[in-house]
Amino acid sequence: MFRLALKMSLARKSRLALTSLAIILGTSFLSGTTIFTDTINSTFERLFTDVFRGVDAYVRSSSSIETNFGESRRGPTPISALETVLNVPGVSAAVGDMQGFARVIGKDGEPLGKEMGPPTFGGIASASVAGLWRVESGRLPVGATEMMLDRSTAKAGKFVVGDTVRVNAFSGTREFTLVGVANYGDISSPGGATFALFDQPTASEFLLKPGFVDAILVQGDGSVSDEELASAITAALPSEAKLETLTGAQITQETTSQIKTALGFFTTFLKAFSYIALGVGCFVIYNVFSITAAQRQRESALLRAIGASRRQVTTSMMVEALIVGVLGSLLGFVSGIGLSRALSALLNALGLEIPTSGLTIRSNAVIATVVVGTLITVLSAVLPALRAGRVSPLAAIRDSALDTVGNFRHRVILGLVLGALGALGLVSAVNGASTTVLGLGVLGVFSGFLVLGPVFSRPMAMLLGAPITKMRGITGAMARQNAARNPKRTSRTAAPVLIGVALVTSFTALASSLKSEIRDTIGSAFRGDYALSVDSHGFGGIPTSITDQINELPMVEQATGVGLLPAKIGEESRFILIFNPKTAEGLYNIPMVEGQQSALTTDGILVENNKAIEKGLSIGSKIDVTLIDGRTVLLTVRGTFKSAFANYAVSRELFEGSTTPLFDNSVYITIAKGVPDTDARNAIAAVSSDLGIGKLQSRNQFIDSQAGQVNQILALIYGLLFLSLIIAIVGIIITLLLSVFERKREIGLLRAVGMTRSQVRTMVRWESVITSLFGAVTGVLLGIVMGVVIVVSLVDKGFSAFTLPITGTIFILIGAFIIGVLAAVFPARRATRNDIISAIAST
Amino acid sequence: MSSTVANAMITSVAARAESASKIYGSGDNEVRALDDVSVTFERGKYSAIMGPSGSGKSTLMHCIAGLDSLTSGQVFIGDTDLSSLNDKALTKLRREQVGFIFQSFNLIPTLNAYENIVLPLSLGGKPGDEAWIKQVIDTISLHDRLDHRPSELSGGQQQRVAVARALASQPEIIFADEPTGNLDSKSGTEILKFLRRAVTNLGQTIVMVTHDPVSASYADRIVFLADGRIAGEMTQPTPEKVLDYLKHLGE
Repeated sequence: MFRLALKMSLARKSRLALTSLAIILGTSFLSGTTIFTDTINSTFERLFTDVFRGVDAYVRSSSSIETNFGESRRGPTPISALETVLNVPGVSAAVGDMQGFARVIGKDGEPLGKEMGPPTFGGIASASVAGLWRVESGRLPVGATEMMLDRSTAKAGKFVVGDTVRVNAFSGTREFTLVGVANYGDISSPGGATFALFDQPTASEFLLKPGFVDAILVQGDGSVSDEELASAITAALPSEAKLETLTGAQITQETTSQIKTALGFFTTFLKAFSYIALGVGCFVIYNVFSITAAQRQRESALLRAIGASRRQVTTSMMVEALIVGVLGSLLGFVSGIGLSRALSALLNALGLEIPTSGLTIRSNAVIATVVVGTLITVLSAVLPALRAGRVSPLAAIRDSALDTVGNFRHRVILGLVLGALGALGLVSAVNGASTTVLGLGVLGVFSGFLVLGPVFSRPMAMLLGAPITKMRGITGAMARQNAARNPKRTSRTAAPVLIGVALVTSFTALASSLKSEIRDTIGSAFRGDYALSVDSHGFGGIPTSITDQINELPMVEQATGVGLLPAKIGEESRFILIFNPKTAEGLYNIPMVEGQQSALTTDGILVENNKAIEKGLSIGSKIDVTLIDGRTVLLTVRGTFKSAFANYAVSRELFEGSTTPLFDNSVYITIAKGVPDTDARNAIAAVSSDLGIGKLQSRNQFIDSQAGQVNQILALIYGLLFLSLIIAIVGIIITLLLSVFERKREIGLLRAVGMTRSQVRTMVRWESVITSLFGAVTGVLLGIVMGVVIVVSLVDKGFSAFTLPITGTIFILIGAFIIGVLAAVFPARRATRNDIISAIAST
Repeated sequence: MSSTVANAMITSVAARAESASKIYGSGDNEVRALDDVSVTFERGKYSAIMGPSGSGKSTLMHCIAGLDSLTSGQVFIGDTDLSSLNDKALTKLRREQVGFIFQSFNLIPTLNAYENIVLPLSLGGKPGDEAWIKQVIDTISLHDRLDHRPSELSGGQQQRVAVARALASQPEIIFADEPTGNLDSKSGTEILKFLRRAVTNLGQTIVMVTHDPVSASYADRIVFLADGRIAGEMTQPTPEKVLDYLKHLGE
């Protein structure tokens, strides 16, 4: 039987090819993202092992605060510790290290590095063997006027040794002479970040505070092990300095895992989409098996007639599924390699340079892809194979398969139950349940819709096809009938479109709501004329000294800055809002629920209303807040406010005298009465944006650009969903080809009685368009349902409105139309190539 | 042979073939399905093509009807030389000047009986002659089944719809390929009577391919084919005469 099944599956090459294609599509995303993730991880492992090869021990502050993306902010290390470390027996060299905020300003006056891109660093270049940088050309910087650049930044800015380079950092904007170019380990720059390098005293003073660095890199003389060296150093350091010592291996491992966590957001995202692709691929695979099983009914009946048992017929189909499953998954894996390369290329184009030296292909990736691919193929084939086995040996040979929906009532009940459970999952996920619940919720809602699909695919196809019948007469009428004739097939074919469109719609709805929320929040808080801002993800920004400078300009009435820093409140790490209550009054208004924002003092804190209720805080309550530099302060709640974006707010004065460099993310400005706009603008720009510090925008421009940041995230989501639409297109192509093949005689008859080739093409094309539109329309409906559920349950988190993305929806429908037309091209051409005689020849 | 050609010039001709040859394959595998066949079908007459399996009768019909092309020779529908037409013109010709009735699978499953009947007209975007269509539907007496899908009709009813479709556009000529092959004898007789009536009462031209002497006896004239050549013909046939002739042909 196995040999027979093998023979039969090989005999039907086109069926085999189409089934394989579906599997390849489903699995290539899985293997592509796996290979890509493996490659990134192993590249960074190699990179940091190389960079830290001279480092045997690493001394740093023991106080730190973890932030959202696996990164942690740490207090500074006094350079005075360097003396102590150098005197520890077994230490041969030690040097300060730094990763502070510094922006290199290009020759065109614009800061280098992409907005929302990788961070911009300032660091220490040293001759020590323990240093991380290796001079590539020129020499190391010495003194307050010299600097080095990493090689890729020098290249990007077209800087050569001898040029004057402007850099802005915590202490303002300065000019330096470029004396050298360096490599990080053996690569030009890690992950597209920019590096401005100075000698230690200059770096400390310019980036942080004189006398402080971020860490001390130590090289041993080899007389003791790294562990012994680390404990010897720890023992030598005074305990009140709050310093800790790691071995070289530990810091390498920690840095690598930090990068992994930082990229984790991205890789999780990729994984989610590869699962979507896999799920969508499942539909295509299941559809192909269902259709081909119906088409080979006669073959199965013949096998039964000549003595094959039900089980043998079923087994032969399962064997075929196994064969194509393995074959398709292997090919899927291979195309995944290409896909991972495409992903790297895409990221490089976006400025997130991943230093890949060849691909990392783990055997696990191959095994996982083949196992998953084969498994879903075999599972997809189970039902059709059982159905094939059940065929009667005397099965009447039907001219054209017309499937029935089966029990409508069962379907409706099951669909509604699944949908309701899914919606429940969504609501509870939004209200804080785990991501698994969210996933299950999405799955439930989708399953509900897909179970209901065949129930409404016929009436919907008839409805959507009605105008086409008007436009195209009998050809349109037949297209409409063809789209409606197999409700299950139509709904399965449309499923990939439905899934993609539903996700796009709900994300777009969510994004529109988020945008309007951002607009409302900023609009009501910000009362000034201008805003100076940076997109710095809470790393670096506008030095507070610049904010003060602007405030003192005669042409400026008032200027106040707002920044963010991580802090530990009780046990949780949060970014807290930092503002200046003295200058904020009337210019930056926090929407207070209780208390006054002006009542905020150095020892006070404002708490978001829901957070306050959750933690049982009210005016007068006291909470412990630990800052980056390790200080723990007891703050008194002075008021509560409403916000979807911040939980806590403190006064800038809290950080006076702290070693933590304080930056503002945005500075809000009101110009003095009677001063012409342009004059004020020029005066502000002269001390800020002209020096590469921040972007100066009018109130409206600022609100637009803040809301617009959501679009960047949305664009990424769209891009990846676009890939799932490609699968949808291929799914439609495969189904249409199979349908055209199945209706060979029908098309032959139509041609015989006078249907022209172009009419045949029109008929296939409109069937495709109706199917695709069916997917899009139901997808939009589902997307709106999910969007409403999510937004409504976010209302008490501050989200105010559900915004229906009308333009987006129109684009989606136009897109679905185009998808339908494109998907039909090849099958329509196949349909017209049918030879009339063989199509109508009596059987 | 020459008399056939001469007749064509005098009487009104619906379709004809001149030195029609159709060869499949080449070299040792060469099969001559049609070998220098010349034949004429008169307007307003009911003709039958008979012959044993593989005699080329279906190929002849397909070529004259514009469904297949000849290797050499010419076929005409009315005065139109089919070899001069491209696919589009040929399709238009089939739609407007030719009617078809096949042995089985005659109807589009997604269209109801009426839509199937007017399908060639609809494809051409024409309303057709309403009075004529009504008359045709009267003839096949299927008034109460017009809004039924083919799957809801019996085999005989389906074939009646096919006959009506072939007649609906008042074509130059109707080709019927074993139209009763899949029917029980009662339904078959019914269909043959309809065809006869279409010629006698409605003035249509029909060419029917069959291997059944009884069916063939409904025709005005029978053309016999054997091994891709014309083997003879008979007018005013009866089942007995045909059977007798076929026996003779087999020797």
